[in-house]
Amino acid sequence: MRPALAVFAVAVAAQWLLPLAGIWQHERVIARGTTVRLECMAPDPYDPLRGRYLAVRPAEGRVPKPEGMVGRDAVPVWATLEAGDDGLSRIKSLSLEPVSGSTVIRLVAKWPRWGGQTSPETVFVEWPFDRLYLNERLAPDADKLVTERFREGQDRPVAEVRLLDGRAVLTDVLVDGVSIREIVKQRAN
Amino acid sequence: MSLIHQRWLAEQLPAWEREGILTTDGARRLRERYAAEPQGGLAQMVVGAVGALLIGTGLIAVLAYNWDDFPRWVRLMLALGPLAASQAVSWWVLQKGEAAKPWQREAAALVQTLAAGAALALVSQIYNLPGKWTDLVFWWCVVSVPLAWVLRSQAVAIAYLIGIAIWTVAQVTGRGFGFSGEGADVRLWYPLLLAGILPLWPGPELRERPASGSRLVLVATALLGLFAVAAFAADRPAFWLTMLSAAAVLLFPLDRHGIAEPLARKPQVLLGGLALVVMALIATYEDPARHLVKSVGFSLPLAWCWLLLAVVAGFAVLAFRQGRFAVLAVAGLAVVPLLAAPLSGKDTSGWPVAIIYSFVLLATAIALIALEFLGRQGAARIGAALITLLVILRMADADVSLLVKGLAFIVIGVGFLGFNIFISRRRAALPGGPSA
Repeated sequence: MRPALAVFAVAVAAQWLLPLAGIWQHERVIARGTTVRLECMAPDPYDPLRGRYLAVRPAEGRVPKPEGMVGRDAVPVWATLEAGDDGLSRIKSLSLEPVSGSTVIRLVAKWPRWGGQTSPETVFVEWPFDRLYLNERLAPDADKLVTERFREGQDRPVAEVRLLDGRAVLTDVLVDGVSIREIVKQRAN
Repeated sequence: MSLIHQRWLAEQLPAWEREGILTTDGARRLRERYAAEPQGGLAQMVVGAVGALLIGTGLIAVLAYNWDDFPRWVRLMLALGPLAASQAVSWWVLQKGEAAKPWQREAAALVQTLAAGAALALVSQIYNLPGKWTDLVFWWCVVSVPLAWVLRSQAVAIAYLIGIAIWTVAQVTGRGFGFSGEGADVRLWYPLLLAGILPLWPGPELRERPASGSRLVLVATALLGLFAVAAFAADRPAFWLTMLSAAAVLLFPLDRHGIAEPLARKPQVLLGGLALVVMALIATYEDPARHLVKSVGFSLPLAWCWLLLAVVAGFAVLAFRQGRFAVLAVAGLAVVPLLAAPLSGKDTSGWPVAIIYSFVLLATAIALIALEFLGRQGAARIGAALITLLVILRMADADVSLLVKGLAFIVIGVGFLGFNIFISRRRAALPGGPSA
């Protein structure tokens, strides 16, 4: 085989490997993962390569510092979620070491960016999902719906997430238990 | 000699050889000396690239619409189908080897690159993956650059260079200053990614040179990337490191043919020099001059600073040995802050450095003019323009009446035009004389 063909074959393999690895990883979580629901906040920004999305940020953004966390660097932490009576999951515990369980999710913990505390009591957590991509026709309506609910003090939207082995895939955003996609589609018709 | 003349010469040589005007050896030497880039169907290549770009971007736009009504597997097929098809076409083009036309290689490589980007973006969209779009650009660049190597695609190489520069800048702007520990370390990554273009330019046989437009993109993106790396290394805007980066680009070593080329075909000299001169002109003001000297203080302890200094010093030695005194004169502007820093105390005014810079710029301009008159490769017109600009800036600051300023500008303008006419006549009288 000519060197050019070998290099081309490697490029082709990489171009398949990257999306297929993502597909395999996320399909596995969707098929076998545990469903949890998290209260969140959500406006409507734009990604130049992937289009419009609803930014999804779980309400639990700042949590008590996990035991043993030192230094200012961002570190991975494993959070165990527990569902409350309202059906929404919240962080029950945080660990710097990997823990197992069907409702464990891997997050990133960071010290507060400004303030200069030498040892803060709470840290920020970064969730492994931050957006739900929506059709560009539906996205503005979804954004309007969420904004209206925030303004009127109604229940916040809820992120539906599948968890498996600490990995998470955001599958939907629900408003009053109904998919936001369905609501805005019905409104549009 | 201009590109048009080089092509004309290349076309004439076979006939001159046949007619015995030139020996075979003489023709070979002329070909080597005035190597004309093969046109290789430039128009065809552009047409191929534009067509591929239209198809590819159209494809991305159609797929990125986010077909809500399709199940996930259908959307995945839509994402990966075009990739498979474009790979098959590229394989076919590659199998043709040298028989493949340049536009075919260009179009196949570009469509496959766009299809790979579309596949990555769509998989990311389908699974609602987080992350900045610039991270996607990084992976897109990594999986696409081999196509530039094997299909010798200028368009993919240009896209790659722009992509890695965007990603590098995003690493710096995304993390903000004063908050180390986030974002990739672009001090390692950017040079590594930039080296990714080496298999294409100069290639395994060290013979390939980028075409004119590609050179411009290569230099512009390299400058942008290096400026971003400088800011990353210092964890704040670093005026002096930016100057050193521009000096490194300006002094980039050239072979004999490269040195003989006109300035218009040396974008590293043009853009690197322009960036340095503009920064030096800014430093003729008190506040920027103070910041510049301050930046020497916080840059000197950095390893990146010493690496840049070593590169600039190494390139400067080579440039001196090759007699490239004009570029050395301009590159010298980057050394002024280092020499001036010990003269300025902490928290003192920036005026001493600002005044030094005015004089150094004047000396640089005079050197550029003098070199041309001494028969060296100089840049008399650029030197004259620099003196004119300096006088205009100083006159604009001066506390004199508008009438005096107006008259001074008229005198400077007349002098500048007169000098240009003189230089034009002088060059016309010296056929084959040194180019600017």
